[in-house]
Amino acid sequence: MTGEPLLSVEDLAVRFDTEDGVVHAVDGISYTVDRGQVLGLVGESGSGKSVSSMSLMGLTAGRRTTIEGRVMFEGRDLLTLPGSEVRAIRGGAISMIFQDPLSSLHPFYTIGRQLIEGVRAHQDGVSKKAARERAIEMLGLVGIPDPRGRVDAYPHEFSGGMRQRVMIAMALVNEPKLLIADEPTTALDVTVQAQILALIKRLNEELDMAVILITHDLGVVAEIADEVAVMYAGRIVEQAKPEALFEAPEHPYTWGLLRSIPRLDTPRDQELVPVAGRPPSLINRPSGCHFHTRCPYVREAHRRIDPPLEPVALGQEDHVVRCLLPHETRLELWRSLESGADAAAAGRAAGTEVTEIKA
Amino acid sequence: MRSKHLRALTLVPVLAASVAIGACGSNNASSSTSSGGTSTASSGSGSTKYASGLPASDQKKGGTLKVLSVESFQHLDPGTSYFQLDFTINFATHRALYYHKPDDSTKAIPDLADGPPQISADGKTLTVKLKSGIKYGTNDPKSPINGKEVTAADVKYAFERGLNPHIANGYESIYFPLVGGAKAKGGDIAGITTPDAHTIVFKFTKNAAATAAKALVLPLSIPVPKSVAGSMDKKNPSTYDADPTKQAFTGPYMISQYSAGKSLTLVRNPQWDGSTDSRPAYLDKMTFAIGADPNVAGQQVFASPGLLQLDTPAAPAVKKFATQKPQQITFSPLGNRWVSLNYTKPPFNNVNVRKAAIAIMDRTAMQRVRGGAAVGDVASHFLSPGIPGFDEAGGMKGEGQDYVANPSGDATVAAKYMKAAGYASGKAPGTSILMIGDNSSPAKEDALIVKDSLEKLGFKVQAKLVEHSVFYSKYCQQKAQLVKIDVCANFGWLPDFFDPYAMLYVNFSGKAIVPVNGNNPSLFNDPAVNAAMDKAATIADDTARAKAWGAIDKMLVDKAAAVPWFWDKQAGIASSNVVSVIAKWNADADLSYVSLK
Amino acid sequence: MGVLLLIISAITFLIFYALPSTDPAQLRAGRSGSPELIASIRHNLGLDKPIYVQYYRYVKGIVLHFDFGFSYQTDAPVRQQIVDRLPATISLTVGAVILWLTLAFPVGIVSAVKRRSLVDRAAMGGALLAISAPVYWLGLVALYLFSNDIGQFKIFDGAGTYVPISQNVGTWFSSLLLPWMVLAASFAAFYARLLRSSLTEVLHEDYIRTARAKGLSERTVILRHGVRAAILPLVTVLGLDIGILLGGAILTESVFNIPGIGRLAYDAIKASDYATIQGTVLFGAFFIIVANLIVDIAYAVVDPRVRY
Repeated sequence: MTGEPLLSVEDLAVRFDTEDGVVHAVDGISYTVDRGQVLGLVGESGSGKSVSSMSLMGLTAGRRTTIEGRVMFEGRDLLTLPGSEVRAIRGGAISMIFQDPLSSLHPFYTIGRQLIEGVRAHQDGVSKKAARERAIEMLGLVGIPDPRGRVDAYPHEFSGGMRQRVMIAMALVNEPKLLIADEPTTALDVTVQAQILALIKRLNEELDMAVILITHDLGVVAEIADEVAVMYAGRIVEQAKPEALFEAPEHPYTWGLLRSIPRLDTPRDQELVPVAGRPPSLINRPSGCHFHTRCPYVREAHRRIDPPLEPVALGQEDHVVRCLLPHETRLELWRSLESGADAAAAGRAAGTEVTEIKA
Repeated sequence: MRSKHLRALTLVPVLAASVAIGACGSNNASSSTSSGGTSTASSGSGSTKYASGLPASDQKKGGTLKVLSVESFQHLDPGTSYFQLDFTINFATHRALYYHKPDDSTKAIPDLADGPPQISADGKTLTVKLKSGIKYGTNDPKSPINGKEVTAADVKYAFERGLNPHIANGYESIYFPLVGGAKAKGGDIAGITTPDAHTIVFKFTKNAAATAAKALVLPLSIPVPKSVAGSMDKKNPSTYDADPTKQAFTGPYMISQYSAGKSLTLVRNPQWDGSTDSRPAYLDKMTFAIGADPNVAGQQVFASPGLLQLDTPAAPAVKKFATQKPQQITFSPLGNRWVSLNYTKPPFNNVNVRKAAIAIMDRTAMQRVRGGAAVGDVASHFLSPGIPGFDEAGGMKGEGQDYVANPSGDATVAAKYMKAAGYASGKAPGTSILMIGDNSSPAKEDALIVKDSLEKLGFKVQAKLVEHSVFYSKYCQQKAQLVKIDVCANFGWLPDFFDPYAMLYVNFSGKAIVPVNGNNPSLFNDPAVNAAMDKAATIADDTARAKAWGAIDKMLVDKAAAVPWFWDKQAGIASSNVVSVIAKWNADADLSYVSLK
Repeated sequence: MGVLLLIISAITFLIFYALPSTDPAQLRAGRSGSPELIASIRHNLGLDKPIYVQYYRYVKGIVLHFDFGFSYQTDAPVRQQIVDRLPATISLTVGAVILWLTLAFPVGIVSAVKRRSLVDRAAMGGALLAISAPVYWLGLVALYLFSNDIGQFKIFDGAGTYVPISQNVGTWFSSLLLPWMVLAASFAAFYARLLRSSLTEVLHEDYIRTARAKGLSERTVILRHGVRAAILPLVTVLGLDIGILLGGAILTESVFNIPGIGRLAYDAIKASDYATIQGTVLFGAFFIIVANLIVDIAYAVVDPRVRY
């Protein structure tokens, strides 16, 4: 891919004014998505991953919301476009699918009607009949069996996986250039997850459609992403190609995420370790490195110094991380952790202090 | 008694609050006004004037009057009706044997009857001649009865059906102890015969004809042709009642339309012949809107032309009319109220204690909480204004007993009688008495004043306040209860017809004490009074009768049979272009005399 | 439904017949009625039979002949009285419902969409006032202000004198306008508040986000997706309210002198006319049960997930 990227997010910040104080939901993130590329946006709930993508569609706008930065899509800043033009892009060139397909579909309308509505909102002068044909075609494309027979069914008459296929069909009716998939598989069981991911990947390839895949599950992005960004407390803390990220992750938070997914090559007796501690408040954010409250390898200085996002090492410009630990120490620690050691053991092996983090 | 107190039972609680508020001021306002056509009744303290005289007989004929009524009619069948408003319609649409002119409730005028009733020497036979040429009118001009002459047989049937359980007249057996009546169920009664088409003869089991003759002003004596009502009377209940448009009418008007609780229309009866009737019947038509809101109705009559309110106006309306449009409000007497004192047991079996109770009672305060002079006058004896014998018993002023003289209560006089009763201190410290009262306003406040007054005599009054209907049906009309009760605070009476017998006999004769439904809550049983009443009941001559009953009234006050304290008044209101005429005997408009200006 | 009515009738029967404050026969006879007369009336009304026989007869009359007995007060058949009164009550109810819904919807929607705005605060404050105002008082004020006879501004012809629709459609309409408004005021306010809270909740639903993500106009999102889902709680209360109103709007009917079921019941209670009270109670219960059924059906129509 050459030329300018399809989507370029620059210094996006989103703040909500609440009664308890200002929530810094997204705190200056930047990334780009090229045509046909799949970007994985990974993080816990509350890390700002959903908010950031909703914001670029104008879906978080409200009287108490402040959005800063630029979101360049095909040369236009989505944040400054008038509402009607943003609306034309929403569901048109950019469409979204969401975590819970049941609650995301209107329970009182047939899926056909919901799809047709999407078509007609963006394509002037399309007859109802043509729109209906388009809906049936899309349902077929996403693998709904007997789409003609099912088009007049209600959402509750479908299984979870089928509903997500319906959501995807709905997102695809207007041939979007970018699909934002917000936790598309979280509510589904494992075999269905794989099918939906495969479908997204297939559509990504066949339709040359860029995808932002938002998930808390690194395992999901491993399969289809071209680029992975890990978010923590409203910021990107590590970003790399998936191979590099899985091979040599450099942020302690990424390690936690990686260690919390079961893998075929993990030893059977190894405990799955979630990231200990609680996500930080986004109103009163921790000083210094925002992750220091949950980092076993925290040092005194980390509580004061806010690390910048920078390449992990010279020559590795496409792998960036926000961490104050030395590159070598990070490699050492990961090596031990990967082989099944706990944080204390890994710290001893790497010769660094370890602080116990309460779950 | 007629259902006045049914109304008191229901309406009064609704209006109570406003009555209490409006109470204090209305006294002066209404008594200070005066205008033509009305005059102040005898000089009672703060009394509101009663209507007197009739408007000149050249009132405008024709027009349609709109009548508003808060209350619904109950039974428009003359055989069943026993309620003030029903009587009003009965007497606009029918002619009974006798009737009272609106302005004189003391004289019964022959209506269907041709001359005064004839009473046999033994007082057991009553003979009435009927006028000839009085015809029935019906809504259906093709009805066989339309245009037919009224005969004695129709009056006979009216009395027969009164004893039919499907009709169940409420007073026939009381005033007409007919031979063979006790077993009658709607068929022939041996005690009624019709020697010819225009003569009816009643035979009684005892000397009752004099009083029965007075009771012929009741709607029971309205003729009902068997050919019309006979088949309907076989139904239970008789359908003659539910659909009054099917009646055979003799009065100046016919009920052309009726929808219970909604509306009623009166139109002229084409068969009515004014030359046989002294009623002028000015109006062509009357439409009744039933069920009006009391406040709205009063306001409508105040603001709009052509309206008359049939039943009691709301207290604020009475006040507004009395102050701003006094020509359009008229008052008429409506029975009495008294506080019973148990004659059979201590402490009130002592006449002096009873006199002390009368003396101490703050009757002015009791009047004030009810609504003041606009609602009624403080009573000084039992017969109420307009009833024959009232004037003979002292009129508004009373009979002069010292314990009645001060309506606001007189502790000195009370103490005097307490001492006479043997209470040396003038008080009866610690004597406990049981009082039953009404728990809804304003009767409740009245009961509490009774309690306070009696406590001034040293009694410890244990007051039991109950719902109005319970007050009567479970306590003060049940002999088994009354023997234990010392005081019934809220007893009231509206006589069935304007005769002293109907007012005093049931309330104070020892012979009227019955196990249930009794109306002598004092259980007053004085041999001299009993004998006097029995004798007075048989007097047929109006003047002698009034005198005899006036004397009985005085005996009752002398013997302190109860505490007389109130003579109710009913106000009637009408628009400024309506000449309203109140029938004193019914305390309601006489529709056959009302006209439009 | 039949069973429910049976139970309700049994309960009211027990209340009115077994625990009467006044004996209907005595009321009918008058205060000085002789024991013989009362006994005869009692026999005629069937009140001398054991209560279960009375009840059996009553139910039998209803089931076999749709006969609710006779009013003690007027001797008129109860069924006929109720049928007579129905048109007025239906007129009052239907008009008021239409009025309050047309008022409540725009207000509720605007308030939900512009939450905490000045418009919202004003509307909801007004609604609170309308809910709290006693209907009787409101009715009197309305009459004193706007009726053509006693009002300050004589606008509404015939207010305070109900005219049946069969007599004159125009007067019927003008005579009911004021009652409709008075009756509708508190309901409109309540429904506006209900719709506001329901819609506010719905607008946070995921499918609203989906609708927005589809690029639908805000108008479509709110009206077609939001309101459609937000009316469910309204359907429930609307059904019940209609049922209750058909059972009689006592106060409104009283102030404006509308001869409806409510006034019939009120008058019957005042007069201890148990047969009529019983009849109106059963009819009221019947309407409420039918309304419930209709609500259930309406639910299924509105919400395809509901199946019976």
